[in-house]
Amino acid sequence: MSGSVDRRAVLTGAAATALVIPVAVVATRNAATLAVASTSGTATASTTQPPGAALGAYLQIDSANNVKLFIGPSEMGQGIMTGLGQLVAEELMLNWSQLSVEHATATAASPNPFANPMFGAQITGGSTSIRGWYIPLRTAAAKARDMLFAAAEAATPGGGWQLASGGKVTNGVTTFNFSDLVAAAAKLTPPSSVTLATTRNVIGKRLHRTDIPAKVDGSAVFGIDVQIPGMVFASVIHCPTSGGIVASMPSSQNGATLINLGDAVGVIATNTWSAMNAAQSLASAIKWTLPTNLASRDSVQILATAQSLLTSTTVTPRIYESVGGIDPAAALGQATTKIDATYNLPYLAHACMEVLNCTAVVTPTSAEIWAPTQGQAMCFPTIMGITGLPASAISVHTTYLGGGLGRKIEQDYISQAVKIAKQIGKPVKLVWSRKQDFQNDKYRPCASIRVQAGADAAGNITALLYRNVSPSINIQRNTTPGNNPEDTGAVAGAVGLPYAIANRRIEFVPNPADIPLGYWRSVGESYNTFAVESAIDELALAMGKDPVALRRSLLTSANPRLLGVLNAVDKLSGWSTTAPPKGSARGVAILSGFGSYIGLVAEISGSATSIRVNKMFCAIDCGVAINPDSIEAQVQGGIAHGLSAALWGQVTFASGIPNVTNFSNYRVLRRAEMPAVSVAIVPSTEAPGGVGETGVPCVAPAVANAFAKLTGVRVRTLPFFPGATMSDG
Amino acid sequence: MMVPVSTTLTLNVNGVNRTATVSDTGMPLLWVLRDILGLTGTKYGCGIEICGACTVLVNGQAEKSCVMDVGSAVGKPIMTVEGLAVDPDGQKAQAAWIANQVPQCGYCQPGMLMVTVGAMKAGHHGASIGSENSNVCVCGTYQRINQAVQGL
Repeated sequence: MSGSVDRRAVLTGAAATALVIPVAVVATRNAATLAVASTSGTATASTTQPPGAALGAYLQIDSANNVKLFIGPSEMGQGIMTGLGQLVAEELMLNWSQLSVEHATATAASPNPFANPMFGAQITGGSTSIRGWYIPLRTAAAKARDMLFAAAEAATPGGGWQLASGGKVTNGVTTFNFSDLVAAAAKLTPPSSVTLATTRNVIGKRLHRTDIPAKVDGSAVFGIDVQIPGMVFASVIHCPTSGGIVASMPSSQNGATLINLGDAVGVIATNTWSAMNAAQSLASAIKWTLPTNLASRDSVQILATAQSLLTSTTVTPRIYESVGGIDPAAALGQATTKIDATYNLPYLAHACMEVLNCTAVVTPTSAEIWAPTQGQAMCFPTIMGITGLPASAISVHTTYLGGGLGRKIEQDYISQAVKIAKQIGKPVKLVWSRKQDFQNDKYRPCASIRVQAGADAAGNITALLYRNVSPSINIQRNTTPGNNPEDTGAVAGAVGLPYAIANRRIEFVPNPADIPLGYWRSVGESYNTFAVESAIDELALAMGKDPVALRRSLLTSANPRLLGVLNAVDKLSGWSTTAPPKGSARGVAILSGFGSYIGLVAEISGSATSIRVNKMFCAIDCGVAINPDSIEAQVQGGIAHGLSAALWGQVTFASGIPNVTNFSNYRVLRRAEMPAVSVAIVPSTEAPGGVGETGVPCVAPAVANAFAKLTGVRVRTLPFFPGATMSDG
Repeated sequence: MMVPVSTTLTLNVNGVNRTATVSDTGMPLLWVLRDILGLTGTKYGCGIEICGACTVLVNGQAEKSCVMDVGSAVGKPIMTVEGLAVDPDGQKAQAAWIANQVPQCGYCQPGMLMVTVGAMKAGHHGASIGSENSNVCVCGTYQRINQAVQGL
């Protein structure tokens, strides 16, 4: 990763015919700094992209006038390659077939042109990729367009340049392909301001995803598929008890080389199967030092602590929202209708279809990884810390992710692969077994939530006291002794409620449990929305009101978009007009979150011991819909994910030992159980909102509300059916 | 310490005879395909024949390659996702998957496709193809799978 740089353009190494226009994506103070570094020095693939741009995403245009877009966000199924590609294709009037999209190789460039403008860091999470890139990427493409115009003018003065479809520039007299102009255009200074396209020939269209052909013929390269010449295969075994570290270990096992990774042992073999088998067979040969406080890693103890903190009058809660002139506790005393309900949600696993894996090459002067990662920004400090190398010596190649769901933002598996590669001096592909993946997750926090609410005789909701007791991701990750960070994410979905509730207080009390925590698709909303939307339903029943009608009455004029999706899902589901089929019942839940608005109606049948979720009706307002088909896919997927969790998802711990080992005891939804999902996308010209997580949180409350209607039984503890198993279909 | 004894096997994969040297003929076909032959389209999901990401066709029948000893596949035609493009049923299934924009993350889809093609070869059509399929997809592409098989 060295070599002189042309400040504005570079011929890429392997694809010498391809020219690159570096384009300022983020308008920063130094738009002239369009430096690009030389190509990667390793013997591996990915030399088509010049890493190290100081600014800007890269558009690469080859001699056949094909356009390649390099992106920062990770493609983990949400369709981000396609969504961002559509933005660029709109600005540049590209034919869809002439555009391809790849992950950029992450390098030490500072500022990192591939950092999500919403975070200032290259992280894929929080349903922010379209939100973060919507304007910046279009701006970058528009700058490229204007530079191509300037190059055309320089070649053939005459003015009047405009785009023509298919990657062309014309003034009616002369027409150029982009490929004719790209070399000259790349030498120009990008314009400081541009006008974005107002056409909608690509944005809003149900274009086919760019990544799907490779996903039906086996050619898509996921992290687990990376092959490096001379690589060895590795797997790991962690302490069976959460938090244990290696006390002693043998030096080899069945011929496999063993490496002490601190909280795990790495096993090197000639193939993944041998490595996994050797790792598993080590279980009794490794001596582990267990954490001292196993009670803080025991589900029974953790739940008991939570129940105590829920009702404690001596603990000082963190008050994350306080609204209204009257203490909600006092307002409750005046209420004529009251509810006092406690909801309990379990730890959850991510269970990505692709287990954790990472391929690494570490030399004395460089480090390179290939990984299914959502957290490129964190990979650099991880690798620097292990290797002692400067960031400039490190490359991070993002593969396709076989699901991310928040798990693959973590650094544990990255760190292990880099440690092993450094120690053995060979390229290594580390692949966790499914059991290791389930038993060493960074779990969705468990949560116990008490909701006290009351209404007056006129039907106004006058009081809401909300206490969330859950282990805190932020506090657990605090590395500064004595520091006690805030964690408002723990009450996401409970603060800023859209409902007209006069007096409310939202409290958070951290549960001091030590089970490792992580970000699970929809994070705080995944538990708070269950409590909020269940409680609203309980209140409606107590008040004798229709759940949709009550919500409608509570939505003020300040929430037209949420009201819009409520009305849309009412219509779509026939809630107000058509009774559900005999033996069925409906439940509703709504959410304003991730920059979007969603309403969900579940239609279920069955009994208290066995239900079938037959239909799901969803209305979503996510602002400008870049690709409606992708949005529908994300809603369908979010519903499936939410249903798996609501019906069966649960990880428990007995003195630190997790109960789950595989899909056999962590049941997830299968094909025959998939409800028919109908999606209505509410038309909008507002800025795009997030979609990846938005479909998940309303599922559990909508089903619980339908279940209460169907059976008269209120489910306040998830999952509905704990202890479910799954076998070969 | 076990002393590995290498065995060289011939496997017919997607119509091509390939030799694989393994230290144990009990090694699952999945890992021979992936780690020795470099055919990484077939995926590891659970290792205990539940999720179906590893599904391949052996003698035209859908098999979960994560639990199938490679030795038992010797002498039988093996088809993986990489072979679909030259198989008439495979081509139809791939086209249906694209037309219905089925994959999200895509990791389970090789297995989904192989189950589907196995069902087609067993004489199933339309919805009855789907009934053969209990593979796991965490992305939740099931609705589109159900749509995609309608025309097959």
